Amino acid sequence: MPAGHGLRSRTRDSFSRPFRKKGPTPLSIYLRTYKIGDYVDVKVNGSIHKGMPHKFYHGRTGRVWNVTKRAVGVEVNKQVGNRIIRKRIHVRVEHVQPSRCHEEFLQRVKTNDKLKAEANARGEVISTKRQPKGPKPGFMVEGATLETVTPIPYDVVNDLKGGY
Amino acid sequence: MAFVRAQKSKAYFKRFQVKYKRRREGKTDYRARIRLINQDKNKYNTPKYRYVVRFTNKDIIAQIVSANIAGDLVLAAAYAHELPRYGLKVGLTNYAAAYCTGLLLARRVLKKLEMDDEYEGNSEATGEDYSVEPAESRRPFRTLLDVGLIRTTTGNRVFGALKGALDGGLDIPHSDKRFAGFSKESKQLDAEVHRKHIYGGHIAAYMSTLMEDEPEKYQSHFSEYIKEGLEPEGLEEMYKKVHAAIRADPTAKQSEKQPPKEHKRYNLKKLTYQERKAKLIERLNALNAAAGADDDEDDD
Repeated sequence: MPAGHGLRSRTRDSFSRPFRKKGPTPLSIYLRTYKIGDYVDVKVNGSIHKGMPHKFYHGRTGRVWNVTKRAVGVEVNKQVGNRIIRKRIHVRVEHVQPSRCHEEFLQRVKTNDKLKAEANARGEVISTKRQPKGPKPGFMVEGATLETVTPIPYDVVNDLKGGY
Repeated sequence: MAFVRAQKSKAYFKRFQVKYKRRREGKTDYRARIRLINQDKNKYNTPKYRYVVRFTNKDIIAQIVSANIAGDLVLAAAYAHELPRYGLKVGLTNYAAAYCTGLLLARRVLKKLEMDDEYEGNSEATGEDYSVEPAESRRPFRTLLDVGLIRTTTGNRVFGALKGALDGGLDIPHSDKRFAGFSKESKQLDAEVHRKHIYGGHIAAYMSTLMEDEPEKYQSHFSEYIKEGLEPEGLEEMYKKVHAAIRADPTAKQSEKQPPKEHKRYNLKKLTYQERKAKLIERLNALNAAAGADDDEDDD
């Protein structure tokens, strides 16, 4: 009989729990808080059957647009045909992890704010813009010995010594 | 000795998944813990307090705990071994002592949060089901009972501690089904029986019976009570005094502790990364110096 395309088809491996991590889920999952606008990764926890997203969203990252009692609403991009739609799904918190994709930006915002405040106190104007890496500066090559290589005339007799 | 082939091979151990540490120790019920700790996500960082009651062989521990990823935080704690301070010297793990410990914890928490004037609770312990009424300014302190791993039978001492906390003025969702004195047939709580348990009436009755029937057993079993000079009739009075003393001054007393004695170190102290690198550089320099000296000698 044919394969079938049910809701959880082809999820045998992606929804299964990792090796030696089956059974109860760690409690820290339940103690994390999510605010609207946070970036989260959707990663299905196969042992929690409620509030599972569809298999398409497993591995996607989106932003939180809603927070309910036990779940968060996540806005994920999905390509449908020739366009990308922003899909809004609700997922229980066991299937969601805080994403680190935005972490570097937030850190940079913090340090920039601090630098700007310090510069403001001193009365100067600084630019906190990131600059791309430029070409490497010129340098003298050190410790170079010159070896002149010239071609030698072809010696038929010696070269044919091995086999002929 | 017969040769038995090894039951558990290396492969067995490689695939073996250990349970969580506290489950292996048999101390935490994770199924219950998840349900007690889970806070609504739309309440963000509002703490959810649980009223933890645990009994050891000689002590009762009552704590108000809120969960944290780094580790649970205890807001306030009360122990049965503090009750001698309020006048209860013996019988520190019975139903009445559990009631006193719960009452002590409740008054302590309310005093810490400066709510003890608004929420007096039930000063006269009648054994009836009592729930706190919300006052005008603040809502009552809400917490959830965490019994741990005990079997919740009717008349268990944890429910004595629960009753103590309720009468102390905490808001704990409960039903009277498991209080001592609840009868399954009539499906009602007999407040008189519960009141007797709170004031140690069941212990007084046993003391009287033993005094008449088996005086030697009475001497051995209740020796501490006899030493304190406690008669079966005087138990209720004593517990009333203890309740009053608890309500008068529930603050915890800090015990004076000396800083721990310094012991001689018998093993090497572990070096830091910097120290190890520095040592390596020293060793290399010494080697180079020695090698340099040898080379000079060979050259010569």
